[in-house]
Amino acid sequence: MTEPRIKFENVCKRYGPLTVLDGLNMEVAAGELVTIIGPSGSGKTTVLRVLMTLETIEEGLITIDGEPFNKMRSREGGLVPASTAHLRRIRARIGMVFQNFNLFPHMTALGNCIEAPIHSLGLSKAEAVGRAEELLDMVGLSDKRDHYPSQLSGGQQQRVAIARALAMRPEILLFDEPTSALDPEMVDEVLQVIRQLATEHSYTMLLVTHQMGFAREVSGRVCFFDGGKFLEEGPPREFFASPRHERTRQFLNKVLAAH
Amino acid sequence: MNTRVAAIAVLVAFLAGMVFATFSELRVFLPALLRGALITIEVAALSFLLMTASAFTAGVARLSPWWSVRWIATAYVEVFRGTSLLVQLFWFFFVLPEFGLTLSPMAAGVLGVGFNFGAYGAEIVRGAITAVPRGQWEAAAALNLPVFRRMTRIVLPQALVVVIPPFGNLTIEMVKATSVVSAVTLVDITYASVQQNQLHYRTVEIFVVTLFLYYCFSQLIRFSMGLLEERSKRHLAATR
Repeated sequence: MTEPRIKFENVCKRYGPLTVLDGLNMEVAAGELVTIIGPSGSGKTTVLRVLMTLETIEEGLITIDGEPFNKMRSREGGLVPASTAHLRRIRARIGMVFQNFNLFPHMTALGNCIEAPIHSLGLSKAEAVGRAEELLDMVGLSDKRDHYPSQLSGGQQQRVAIARALAMRPEILLFDEPTSALDPEMVDEVLQVIRQLATEHSYTMLLVTHQMGFAREVSGRVCFFDGGKFLEEGPPREFFASPRHERTRQFLNKVLAAH
Repeated sequence: MNTRVAAIAVLVAFLAGMVFATFSELRVFLPALLRGALITIEVAALSFLLMTASAFTAGVARLSPWWSVRWIATAYVEVFRGTSLLVQLFWFFFVLPEFGLTLSPMAAGVLGVGFNFGAYGAEIVRGAITAVPRGQWEAAAALNLPVFRRMTRIVLPQALVVVIPPFGNLTIEMVKATSVVSAVTLVDITYASVQQNQLHYRTVEIFVVTLFLYYCFSQLIRFSMGLLEERSKRHLAATR
């Protein structure tokens, strides 16, 4: 049996007295697209942030293809806290797209996309530029390569941010509410890019979103997150048609009524 | 900007005319004042380099994840900001030789002024770094940039925009404060004008020229910092 690409075992995350992840278990297979939905402030974003190592966890084990991530194997075979080098090595396989884009404002669209490939992967400038141009073309922004973020619309900025994440050639892509900060008319252009990634490429993707229609359309599995764990999950068709859990029903009624 | 340059040029020409028309003994004391001005420029330029280096080093170090580094930087800032510049100069010039380290007047002057103003600069740099949105750090981390690159390529360039205006003010303060180096026997403009006054008793003329020279230095700094500011925030303004 092959190892899942991402595996959370009993992961706990607390901020003082507040428990955000409460013994979370999750497995994501290679190439799978999993959508995480749930009430605002429930901590579903924390699942992604923990995986991206932007937050540390108090308990539990995260493995990528069977290899410990937040910990590493010591010479004796036991698990010890991961070193910076270990984190950097595994983190290189993960890319993240943020709600607020977080583009580097002092660099052009192209500059944003070549920065990490040059300074983290050690690519030559020519190589990095070639790769970035391909990706900007893929997200439909090859004509904006020399524009600064302040000269781009929100939707364009988010598409550059996606190209920037892809430029590191990750296997796993994390999308943290990628359309929540966008004006409604720009949501589609970003969803279109994510749809294309889902159908034409083999990335393993975790998507936190409030776009229920999109979740139903692209995901292989939908997970409902509340109270620090996944209450319910399933293929989108079943999940949306007949949620088993009362909390899930309440949540879906509320968000679907709003549309 | 151009009208201001023009206004300053007119003012300079006017004052120069006044000086030549009325200050009869200018040629007697002016050479000594200009020699003093050169010393002031030298002290100010070297102090500026030291101040900038220590401000950025200590400002970044105060945010270090290692407590020992933070502690050293905090101690530096507190000591140099919390005590008198003049007494610090005396330490470099009169006290260190007691421990076998003798410094030239220029070295003592530059160390005193540079480290003192660097301590104030460190607080400016620290504040500017913490003002860079957290998302920028996170994006840099998510792109797997090494910690040093996150700082030098992503955070510091953005912090610089916030640093430059107060740093310009601090530099002007620093240039004016270089007059304390006369206390460690350097003949800067201030000291030269006191000497010339004792020799020639042309009190008004001498001190008008001295003030005017300081004013020129300040304007020069203001002007160059303004250019730097324009340059640094060309692309950043709209995203803030």
